[in-house]
Amino acid sequence: MKHVLKIFSLLVVISALWIGLLQASIIPQSHTWLLPIYFIVSLGCYGLLMVGVGLMRFPTCPQEALLLQQDIGEAKDFLKQRGVDVGSE
Amino acid sequence: MELADRAVGFLLSLISLSIFTYYTFWVIILPFVESDNFIHNYFLPQEYAILIPVCAGVVLLCFLCMFIGFVMLKFKKKKA
Repeated sequence: MKHVLKIFSLLVVISALWIGLLQASIIPQSHTWLLPIYFIVSLGCYGLLMVGVGLMRFPTCPQEALLLQQDIGEAKDFLKQRGVDVGSE
Repeated sequence: MELADRAVGFLLSLISLSIFTYYTFWVIILPFVESDNFIHNYFLPQEYAILIPVCAGVVLLCFLCMFIGFVMLKFKKKKA
């Protein structure tokens, strides 16, 4: 409940800022009308950029992959000795 | 395998950067340029700068609602 209140108060502050900008006319009025949509689009763009950058920098850890394959082999042998059918071969 | 991931990530970041620069240009810089400059030929009329994101948002919302409804129906049918 408190997190929702925090988000709601943030939204109220941002909209108050926007209406204040509209009234004070520091920036030309046509620009101020387009500001919320611009920020939403740029937020979506930023999210997409973070996803792309994370995909590019994802580590693959080849040594750990090798160790994992060895562990899988050992586990299969162990189970086969005990009579459990592992079934993937 | 990781090359495909890298390529997809690079493509995504390229798309997002190009959309960001195009939209920034469209909304912020273009109103300050005179009407008969050649650069206006490369950008759609200004009404589309609002229409396209709003339409995309509405389509996304519809898609989300349809997906949720679909999953709920499938779950209810499986339970009964």
